[in-house]
Amino acid sequence: MERLPRLPAVGPFAAGFWRSPLRGPWLASLLSSALLPLVAVCALTGFLSHLAYQPRLDSNAIFGGPGPGNGFDVFGLGWPTSPSWLYAATQGLHVITGMAAIPVLLAKLWTVIPKLFENPPVRSLAHGLERLSLVLLVGGGLFTFATGVINIQLWYPFGFPFVPAHYYGAIVFVAALALHVGLKLPVLLRAFRQQGVLRPLREDLAHTRPEPGIPSEVTSAPTSAAAPTLTRRALVGGVGAAAVGLGAITAGQVVGGPARELAFLAPRGRTRPGPNGFPVNKTFAAVDIPRDRVGPDWRLRLIAGDERRAVLDRPELLRLPQVEAALPIACVEGWSTTQDWQGVRLLDLARMAGVDDPETAEVRSLQPGGPLSRVTLARDQVHHPHAMLALRVNGADLSLDHGFPARIMVPAIPGVHCTKWVKALRFS
Amino acid sequence: MTAFRRQYGAGPVHLLAVTASIAIAAYALSRVFDGADPMRVMLWMAGSIVAHDLVLLPLYALLGAIAGGALVPDARRSRARVAALNHLRAAALASGLLLLVWFPLIAAEAPRTYMRSTGLDVGVYLERWLLASAVLFGGSALLFALRVRRLARTPLPQSGS
Repeated sequence: MERLPRLPAVGPFAAGFWRSPLRGPWLASLLSSALLPLVAVCALTGFLSHLAYQPRLDSNAIFGGPGPGNGFDVFGLGWPTSPSWLYAATQGLHVITGMAAIPVLLAKLWTVIPKLFENPPVRSLAHGLERLSLVLLVGGGLFTFATGVINIQLWYPFGFPFVPAHYYGAIVFVAALALHVGLKLPVLLRAFRQQGVLRPLREDLAHTRPEPGIPSEVTSAPTSAAAPTLTRRALVGGVGAAAVGLGAITAGQVVGGPARELAFLAPRGRTRPGPNGFPVNKTFAAVDIPRDRVGPDWRLRLIAGDERRAVLDRPELLRLPQVEAALPIACVEGWSTTQDWQGVRLLDLARMAGVDDPETAEVRSLQPGGPLSRVTLARDQVHHPHAMLALRVNGADLSLDHGFPARIMVPAIPGVHCTKWVKALRFS
Repeated sequence: MTAFRRQYGAGPVHLLAVTASIAIAAYALSRVFDGADPMRVMLWMAGSIVAHDLVLLPLYALLGAIAGGALVPDARRSRARVAALNHLRAAALASGLLLLVWFPLIAAEAPRTYMRSTGLDVGVYLERWLLASAVLFGGSALLFALRVRRLARTPLPQSGS
């Protein structure tokens, strides 16, 4: 193949522009080895979250209609109800590993930035395609991280729906990442064989020398390095500390209790006093429900198929046999809070509606509009002995913000499926 | 086979893998476009590359180079000066990272949405970040002060060693 043109060797395109002695294939490989498991857990838990929404049930589809428009719903699996903290754990891990990956990702990009300006920019058709896929890798990766980080802080500046963009953006990222890992694994192995996996971490400043690069590979190792001001172990240790620190201050809003205060920059790191003081996903003021619809005139309608079978007010519900359970609200945004709930078993309500063995329960909220004003619960969710229409929490009536007069609580389901301000339950 | 390699620049497996990866990514991208304005999505995707590679990274590299030039000029390298630079780097990078990650809350980008969602005021985050930054810079400076006497006694090997 004929030689492809070079760019003029000016600025970042000149070989001697990048002077840090720490850059090189070994550092890139070590950071990648830390980044890959974090990204793998983050991606896996992210796709599991999609599964937890059970989008194949009628009203649960969060984007578009059936089939691929609703995500790669190839699992054909349900979502278990046990342990009750399952979704709190998977979605907590999703956000914690995502946060912890950020410093590692930034360090990795810093390490390989000279390759963005490699000269000639394209050496062959193969190299050109590889670089195209790197655009998808970096673009898809930064896009997925950025949208996730912004979304959990309740800021929606995108101008496109978050869920499908984050979901399919992640697939762009993962597809490009799988290729990148496959293509770069030999380079990683050579770098580790050449330098030792951890040996460069033992060098003090006097022995910190530039990486030599790898024969016949274009790498990020400098051609003319400045004198070192930092050891490799300080750099790697600093990145590790940043990752652990960022993960820890995010974990506070998953673990809850006294640890919640640790999450001092996270959106759900604060509680208020009292039995209803735990974090709120959406306040009553934020949804357009007229006040009188949640007053003494509120009624719960029990429907079987298309037929209304019973209408109950709140005192009647409170006179029914009550179940109590400690269950988490586990938000897709990666925070959770476990409280003691009290209410009427969904199965008891199904039987009052004349459905002894319900397949599904469709929950309707007073909250108008939005994809989550109707939620469908699967068979095992309705049948779980702790699945309830909750009326009280921590020994007190629910507050309006937590769903008064009544809300759904079911073990291990995404928080937004624990519908608040319930007006009707339809069993089938 | 060698002809293919010479023309393409790698083996046929490479071509298969790259094509498969790009095809899956292109399909996924088309699904993002389905429910959204493709221009907005492309703006965010390309914008994130530009924002990182051509704005954020050059910015912190430049600030680092300025700090390095001021604190550790080539002619006056010493262990204490290198340590001063690193104590500054550590605090600045940690504080900057917190700002980068929690920027929407710190800058109170959506105070109304935040209030309507959580029932709480978003204003606390700026104070908390400033306090965290003060602790990071203060703590790092204190550690440096404790180390500097010991460092001053140990010479630094010259560059190129």
